[in-house]
Amino acid sequence: MNPRRLRAIIRRVVAEIRRDRPSLALLFIAPILVTGLLTFILREGSTPAVHVAVANAASGPAAVIGDRLASALSYAGMTVTQVADAGAARAMVRDGGATVAIVLPATMASPSASVTVITEGLDPSGDASQIGAVRGVLTDAVASSLGAVLPSVTHETIYGTPSDDPMAPFAPAIVAFFLYFFVYLLTGVSFLRERTGGTLERLMATPVSRGEVVAGYTLGFGVFATIQVAVLLAWALGTVHVPAVGPLPEFSLGLGIAVAGSPLIAFLVVLLLALGAVSLGIFLSTFARTELQVIQFIPVVLVPQFLLSGVLFSVSSLPSVLQPLVAIMPLGYAVDALRQVFIRGADLSVGALQADIAVLAVVAVLFAVVASWTIRRDVV
Amino acid sequence: MMNSSPRPPEPAPGDVAIRAAGLVKHFGELAAVDGITFDLAPGRIYGLLGPNGSGKTTLIRLLTGMTRATGGHAEVLGVRMPDRANLARIGYMTQGDGVYPALTVGENAEFFAAAYGVADRGAVQAALALVELADRRTALAGTLSGGQRRRLSLACALVHRPPVLFLDEPTVGVDPLLRVQFWGHFRSLVDAGATIVVSSHVMDEADRCDELLFIRAGRVIARGSGDGLRAEAGTPDLETAFLHFAGEREVAA
Ligand SMILES: Nc1ncnc2c1ncn2[C@@H]1O[C@H](COP(=O)(O)OP(=O)(O)O)[C@@H](O)[C@H]1O
Ligand SMILES: [Mg+2]
Repeated sequence: MNPRRLRAIIRRVVAEIRRDRPSLALLFIAPILVTGLLTFILREGSTPAVHVAVANAASGPAAVIGDRLASALSYAGMTVTQVADAGAARAMVRDGGATVAIVLPATMASPSASVTVITEGLDPSGDASQIGAVRGVLTDAVASSLGAVLPSVTHETIYGTPSDDPMAPFAPAIVAFFLYFFVYLLTGVSFLRERTGGTLERLMATPVSRGEVVAGYTLGFGVFATIQVAVLLAWALGTVHVPAVGPLPEFSLGLGIAVAGSPLIAFLVVLLLALGAVSLGIFLSTFARTELQVIQFIPVVLVPQFLLSGVLFSVSSLPSVLQPLVAIMPLGYAVDALRQVFIRGADLSVGALQADIAVLAVVAVLFAVVASWTIRRDVV
Repeated sequence: MMNSSPRPPEPAPGDVAIRAAGLVKHFGELAAVDGITFDLAPGRIYGLLGPNGSGKTTLIRLLTGMTRATGGHAEVLGVRMPDRANLARIGYMTQGDGVYPALTVGENAEFFAAAYGVADRGAVQAALALVELADRRTALAGTLSGGQRRRLSLACALVHRPPVLFLDEPTVGVDPLLRVQFWGHFRSLVDAGATIVVSSHVMDEADRCDELLFIRAGRVIARGSGDGLRAEAGTPDLETAFLHFAGEREVAA
């Protein structure tokens, strides 16, 4: 590794990105925009309007439960229409007159008694929120009709506090994913240009070694990854109040997500992840002929990582056949490590965090070696 | 377009700058280079002449160690290629321009100077002056005209003053006046002791070379000075001479 040559490559990579305004915007503005939007959705999301059709098959004194349920639902702020039977309820949901229907059985006392909830079925998460809206009221009404009162459930967590900020568990995963995504994309595209533009051939005709090229790229992109991580973490964790100026109202900048541990450790984790992403970009650019193809690798390489790394779905809830794949996803280790830091407040003495960091470091080195293999003098 | 400067003296036998020893390169079924052997003495300009696809670029890539030979080997200045350290003594101007469009003219030359391990800042200035781009130093390479980019590419190939220079179709897209200047530079480099291999698919500049190697289908079909080859083939021009040698091989084969 010749320091002069290495420095020349780093300076070149930095100069190229610095002049590429759209890429810079992509690197810094896009993650801020998307995390901001996601936070807004999660925190400020409004409960949808719920219009319930209630059909009650019971008659006589048992029929009173239908009235009781209807008034409890109205009391909870929902619009309620009582209908004659299940068929009418279903028709009402189908025609859009109701967003959800509840069909009560003829008797509640039988052990096989079953309450049917009908939704439209086009939008699973919309349906889920409809069911969520009626469920509490429904169980209370049914319990009281049977003469019971359900105890209230209190949720406590070992780390952090439950549900005070819906964005809190997502923030670490989103920060890691964005960094991985953008660093991969930029490295992949710029290395592809190096291959197709003939400059890699030129570079390989100098005494520069493949290791120097990978190291130069890693450190050059490392500079931007570092700044990106710093900006993104500051944005995610900080809150700066901007006082009202003239006609502008006061507002605050930053997502203000709580972090229990040290932001510096979080920084180290994402940086390791980013170094691996540089090598991944170099490696995959071998298999691409055009910049579009670099983008086409995203569904193949990045989306599975997104799905299997606990960003959206809990890793333990994934099917067991996928578990071995989970173990080889670098992003998963970063997401876990960041959650350890953000929520659990882990420091470097925590074994689970040490393991995550060790894996990320090994992956970064391994990818760098593989990437340098792909820069063969034959492969241009 | 006869060369006015005198031919360099015939070199002493045994003095070899570039050696090809039974070079073969296959791409699948295709033999892009099909058994080429030669010794090139230092201090001369050699022309690799042959139509597109005859294997000139592949031969140069074998000689510079950019690709591994299927058979045989190459030596440059007595060192068997590929050899990374030896690349500091070799300049290679690729057929494509191979410069960074987002960097300025000066940054491109400085980058390749650093890659070749040149510490002297004057070298960059000298190389740019040679190709008459010194006044465009701060222009982005991506904004240059085709001819200017070709000149920058040449500057990047000789910024480290290599004793051996491979130029793959260096004058394609360069205007006639500049071509004359290019050849003037090549001649002065050779006069200073360099060995230059220039490839071309057209014959119009062939007489500027000290020695020509006709390449066809991955083989050297004739070698000699322009006058020598014309005389041997008994033809007035080199195109017809090329066809003569190509036909001769066909008959022999
Ligand atoms: N990397 C490669 N893979 C497959 N075929 C190649 C490759 N490089 C060159 N060739 C083939 O080898 C032959 C010689 O090519 P080349 O050396 O570029 O010729 P020239 O430079 O004389 O035009 C051509 O038929 C070309 O298609
Ligand atoms: Mg060629």
